[in-house]
Amino acid sequence: MKLTRRDFAAGIAAGIAAPHIIGSAKAQGAATLKIGMCAPVTGPAAESGGYAIKGAKLALDAVNKAGGILGKQAELIIEDDQTTNPGIVLAFSKLAAESDIVAFLGSIRSTQVHAMAPDVLKLGKPVMIGGTDPNLTHMGNQWLFRFRPNDSYSGRVIADYGVNTLGKKKWAVLHSTDAFGTAGGKALSAALEKLGSPAVLDQGYANQSQDFTPVVLAIKQSGADILGSYFTFENDLGIFARQLRQLGVNIPWVGSPSIVNITALKLAGPALYNTFGVADYAEDSSEASKAFGKLYRDAVKVAPDNQSSWPYDAVTVLSAAINKAGSTDPTKIREAILATKKFPGAEGEYNFDQNGDGLHGYNIVKNDKGTITFDKHIEFND
Amino acid sequence: MDLVLQLLFTGIGIGAVYALVALGFVLIFRATNVVNFAQGEFSMVAAYLMVVFAVDLGWPYWLSFLLALGGMALLGVVFNLGVYYPLRHRTFLPVIIATIGASILMANSVLAIYGPQPQVLQGWFETPGIQLGPVYLDSQYLLIIAVTVALVIFNYWFFEKTLLGKKLQATSQDKEMASLLGISVSAMIMITFIYSAVLGGLAGILVAPVLFVSIQMGSTIALKAFAATIIGGFGDVAGAIIGGLALGVIETFGAAYISVPYKDGFAFLVLVAFLIFRPQGIFGERVAEKA
Repeated sequence: MKLTRRDFAAGIAAGIAAPHIIGSAKAQGAATLKIGMCAPVTGPAAESGGYAIKGAKLALDAVNKAGGILGKQAELIIEDDQTTNPGIVLAFSKLAAESDIVAFLGSIRSTQVHAMAPDVLKLGKPVMIGGTDPNLTHMGNQWLFRFRPNDSYSGRVIADYGVNTLGKKKWAVLHSTDAFGTAGGKALSAALEKLGSPAVLDQGYANQSQDFTPVVLAIKQSGADILGSYFTFENDLGIFARQLRQLGVNIPWVGSPSIVNITALKLAGPALYNTFGVADYAEDSSEASKAFGKLYRDAVKVAPDNQSSWPYDAVTVLSAAINKAGSTDPTKIREAILATKKFPGAEGEYNFDQNGDGLHGYNIVKNDKGTITFDKHIEFND
Repeated sequence: MDLVLQLLFTGIGIGAVYALVALGFVLIFRATNVVNFAQGEFSMVAAYLMVVFAVDLGWPYWLSFLLALGGMALLGVVFNLGVYYPLRHRTFLPVIIATIGASILMANSVLAIYGPQPQVLQGWFETPGIQLGPVYLDSQYLLIIAVTVALVIFNYWFFEKTLLGKKLQATSQDKEMASLLGISVSAMIMITFIYSAVLGGLAGILVAPVLFVSIQMGSTIALKAFAATIIGGFGDVAGAIIGGLALGVIETFGAAYISVPYKDGFAFLVLVAFLIFRPQGIFGERVAEKA
């Protein structure tokens, strides 16, 4: 048989088109409905990445038991983000290449979400995230949906609790000088200004400090009667907490979520007793939170935290949204997520705004001799 | 005045930690003419050994301490045979690169075993510290300062008054001449590596109750200790001690009176100033004396 130029061109065209045709057919007639997940399977956050995967799988099991999504069983496709920005870009591009994946779970780390955001915009499919940098849902990327309250709320909640509940007016604000700490410190200072109690001390520190004596002495000299903090690393928090108590400073202390982190409690021990923290997940804050806590403890045998609760909520809300949309069309899924109101999740009640933020408040928890107890929930509607 | 005294105590305490690690840098440099960039990881490994013995296995603190130091001596032997000895006839560059490689290997091995979460190690004393007038003295920092003073005295006695110390000095000053005099250069270098690993380990064990036990603890301290050796005069034992203490005090006062976020900057600003105006450091350089 003689191969003509026309036959050769047709062959090439068929070769190029075949994967797309097969992929499209697979998406239409696939036995399962696929959700992609970028998670730190390796790298420094591998431990918390494991919790996130377990949270997502627990939610998916529940969804599948209840009939699945659009009548199909749902499947989680996991790619390792290596706890790095290049890692998550690579992981997302691998998942994005699978045309039958209808939606994705991204990272709890804002920096990683920023790294993958341009590719998310290009792909045009919904991505659930846990990163709390307020900018993530305010930079024109309509495909990002947040399942934790953003940092602008944590500053407002810390200020509100300290001023209105504890009745303290003279604030010392202490924060890391990295992106997270600076943004958090600014949000807290701005909230205090609004409440008429501007900070008497606004003190930054560099991460991985070996000694906080100058900081503690500055707090002592400022005459502050309450401390608000944004610590990035638990070992910094542990060293500071010990030195604060050793040097005789015993004023009330309300901190960002790291103050109630299991590692921080282990490192600082009694130095953190009677402190308060904002927490997006608090087991006793609602019936849905309690139910997730029990489910997670029974299945994983460790205490649940926000690493596992947000992926659990993300899969639950996403599945409900796809069912409500009745389609895997990205635009219809997006509209269904944004229409989600009064949805009881492990992290709180979801009321999505048009930016893609599902939660608008934080829980305040107290360190009661090493046990974290729920105190109150503060919600903002503006 | 109260503030000054409190800052002075803390500065000397943290400076003593830098001094202990700097001492390890200096001893290896004098014996081999190379900088051991794994010196900080010696501190980290020793702290994790203490966690294994004292926390995980629940063995008595003193026994765990001796076993951890014994482990460090063994690590010194392995380090010498695996990293320095095969490259001893090469220029200093391959050896330095090998020490960097060894430090990465040690850090990642511990990471693979223990994970990234920091660990807690209790100090020697039940009492966390004592209040002396307006100044709070952290018991662990007091111990660190005491050990540094004891080591200064021990080093003087060992290097100046004992035959082994003099053999080590002879080896560090001129290996060929020492060899001609019947001194086993390989054995002396082996002893130096063992002693440096134990010293680095001692610093790690002493500082662990204050800074916690983490993968990064070694590199954070080593960077400052390296600066301290340059400030004190590379190759000088007294210089390493003075350089370490000076660095601790300068950065503590700089943080208190100028800027907390730029605390590390003060240490390195001093380093840059020394490199420009007095590159041989406070105590000069022994190389000149060798000639």
